[in-house]
Amino acid sequence: MKKEIILSFVMMMTFSINAQIRGVVIDKDSIPVVDVEILIPDYDIKFYTNYLGEFSVEIGIDNRSHLYFYKDGYESKISQYKEDTELVIILDDLHVDIDEISVTASYNILGNSKVTNIQNLSIKDVFLNSNSMIESITELSGVDIISSGIGIQKVVVRGLSGMRVVTYLNGMQINNQQWANDHGIGFTDLGLDKVELIKGSSALRYGSESIGGLLYFKDHPFIKLEGAKGYLASKFNSSSYFSSNQFGLKWNKNNLFFNMHGQYSISSDYRLPNNKYLFNSRFKQNSIKFSVAHKKNNLQNIFRYQLHNESPGIPGHVHGDPSTIELTQLLSSDIDFNEDFKITRPNQFVTNQLFIYESNYFLDNSIISLYLGHFRNNLQEYEKWTAPAFNLTLSNTLINPNIKYSYNNSTIELGSQFSILNNVNNINERLVPNASSINIGPYGIFNYEKDNLGVNLGIRYDYKNLKSRDNTVNNNKIFDIDYSESFNAFSISSGVFCEFKDHIIRISYSGASRTPHFSELFSNGVHHGTNRYEIGNEDLLIENANQIDLKYQWSNEHLGVVINPFIQHITNFISISPTDSFSSVYRIYNYMQYELVQIKGIEMNIHYHPHLLHNLHIEQSYSFLNTRNKDDLYGLALTPANSVKTKLVLDLNQYQKLTKFKINNLSVYHIHKFQQNSFAQYEEFTASYDVINLQLGGKFNNQFEYAFLINNVFNKEYTPHISRLRGVAGGVPNPGRSFSINLKYNF
Amino acid sequence: MKKNKLTLGILLCGIAVLSSCDSHSDECHECHIAFDTPNGEIEVPINNAAGGEEFCGAELEEAEGSDFSYLLTEDYIAGADTVPAGTYTEIHCEAHAH
Repeated sequence: MKKEIILSFVMMMTFSINAQIRGVVIDKDSIPVVDVEILIPDYDIKFYTNYLGEFSVEIGIDNRSHLYFYKDGYESKISQYKEDTELVIILDDLHVDIDEISVTASYNILGNSKVTNIQNLSIKDVFLNSNSMIESITELSGVDIISSGIGIQKVVVRGLSGMRVVTYLNGMQINNQQWANDHGIGFTDLGLDKVELIKGSSALRYGSESIGGLLYFKDHPFIKLEGAKGYLASKFNSSSYFSSNQFGLKWNKNNLFFNMHGQYSISSDYRLPNNKYLFNSRFKQNSIKFSVAHKKNNLQNIFRYQLHNESPGIPGHVHGDPSTIELTQLLSSDIDFNEDFKITRPNQFVTNQLFIYESNYFLDNSIISLYLGHFRNNLQEYEKWTAPAFNLTLSNTLINPNIKYSYNNSTIELGSQFSILNNVNNINERLVPNASSINIGPYGIFNYEKDNLGVNLGIRYDYKNLKSRDNTVNNNKIFDIDYSESFNAFSISSGVFCEFKDHIIRISYSGASRTPHFSELFSNGVHHGTNRYEIGNEDLLIENANQIDLKYQWSNEHLGVVINPFIQHITNFISISPTDSFSSVYRIYNYMQYELVQIKGIEMNIHYHPHLLHNLHIEQSYSFLNTRNKDDLYGLALTPANSVKTKLVLDLNQYQKLTKFKINNLSVYHIHKFQQNSFAQYEEFTASYDVINLQLGGKFNNQFEYAFLINNVFNKEYTPHISRLRGVAGGVPNPGRSFSINLKYNF
Repeated sequence: MKKNKLTLGILLCGIAVLSSCDSHSDECHECHIAFDTPNGEIEVPINNAAGGEEFCGAELEEAEGSDFSYLLTEDYIAGADTVPAGTYTEIHCEAHAH
């Protein structure tokens, strides 16, 4: 009997280890489709079909697991794995790729995109196809950028940014003093596969504070290949003589998976349309990351580590009123190649380290997960050569147990986020004090989806205790803080969708809260990155946001249309306002609260695909945003101007004359920004403008890809309304015409 | 064999990336009095103890310190503006556009 038990156990183990996923992918004419990506989302493992369209890998997964099939130009599909069954997957040609409410099958980490406003963007080729990852994300409707060149860039979602747009990287919240516009996102596109974006306050599982939106960046999946695979990539941009080099390596043997990536980038000052250079817009970055996964039976463990260093210059730095200086004072007439790649002052030194451990245990209908993450950000901001203006270390530890249970058409998720945040000044000079917080956020989310109907309901409770004790004396300035306050808040997210023939409609409601950040409560000092003296306010209350989002979508084979109106009310909106006082040469700004701010707008997308020219794709998005501050005659600060974004993509693969010259695709991107006449007291009117970018891409062979980009083709001089440098010298223009050559070699 | 070489190359690239962290500068720099006027800031160049234009090491640290003051012995004329002789404490050493 004992022998039989041992034998059956061994057989079970053997089967589990050697269980095969096998099948074939064909198109509607039964022709095999090669190189189809097949992803097992729950396990984050990917493999490909071979030259016969077949796939066969030995990996033990349970019957509930889904397989996601994707190939460019085909309609993606999700199929449920069945033990001992050879899968036959038929992928249809895809004409209209409008993945707004998941017409094409897609998988999302953040939840069900049918009932929540989740947008999914692949960024795995962004190094090749774009100047920067953030610029690529801004092609989405409702998304804008606060920037000064490529060195410092931040995402704006429906007019909100900073603390209100929360960023996650592989499940870990990135806290890197993001309250200031001169503090960038803190990592690059290195090793990243996709980004998911939630607009508004629906990101329940990932914290209530993301009332503007949530960006979730995810690494490349692990690859099942029994060997190694890698890439080398390099890019050069003529505007700032920016060059960047990346490498990546993926390795797998049996149940062990390993990914590793590295990057080094350097840039001088960027060139304006008038052929002058914006002094100190230079930067350097280097980064390395690796991840290891091990899967055995029902248990999967993943460890990830990332180190990112960057030293961006802070351009547009002035003493006194930035609006009164001449633009010429900020510009260099030429580039000195010996000097202008060197880091100068003022600048930042940023070191970010990320440690992640994930453990997933797979049962028949459920996944039990434990997530441990630790993010450490060191930010040193220098104006002087010999001593920083501030030197802060911000560490964030996150523990997130979660259980996901699926039954028939329903899914329930229960879990809690425990996070500990600690901000420490390493020197006496300081802008914000030492502070710490503990946050506990239990949540429950229910999803139901059957046929043409879906429902989502989630609720979360957050308890946060924020403490600061700091009585540092420096330069006759005393931080006399003894603060301990607890905040309690409920968040809710709900949505319903229904589908009728080619029509899909979804309505969602969400409510979330954001506790004041320690920078908003206690700041007291000069912030060289913004040319301000900033003073916090200890009496600030919780911000509350309520949003209704409606989405209608219709599509046929050649045309897809999405219409997405929304309205959001934010009470106790925290803002910063200028005073008539000065500290030394810097104007004093006070943190304060508006009773009610209303943000409403409409986003529309059109994807047209002419029947006579199947290889031409025309995508257009419209973003119209209106903000109203009921306490002030002026509008809200940093509200992006309305925009129309158009992209034409021509696939040239069918033209042999062109493919002979290794040219495979051509795209044109045009953005029209309307004038912005709704602005805050310390902002001003911004005129409309148009910018056009061109891109030519191709392959020298199956391994070697290239892209040639011309940005700002007509050398248009413009300063976006939400540019970091809009208020400096009447507005410092964005880069003029530039050329990029990007190369990638896969092996 | 070819793949092994590539893998080795990748690892060497990784080491190069890690070792390419920028060190904080310890070079010499010119400093100036920052004199604020309604027309903007006037920069008045100052000299080090030896009469030179550049401040290095401890002298640079001292010039950037909050206790440092500089005696301008003569009026400094910049276009239509005049910076009167006197003692000044607002000393800056960061670089500017060229």
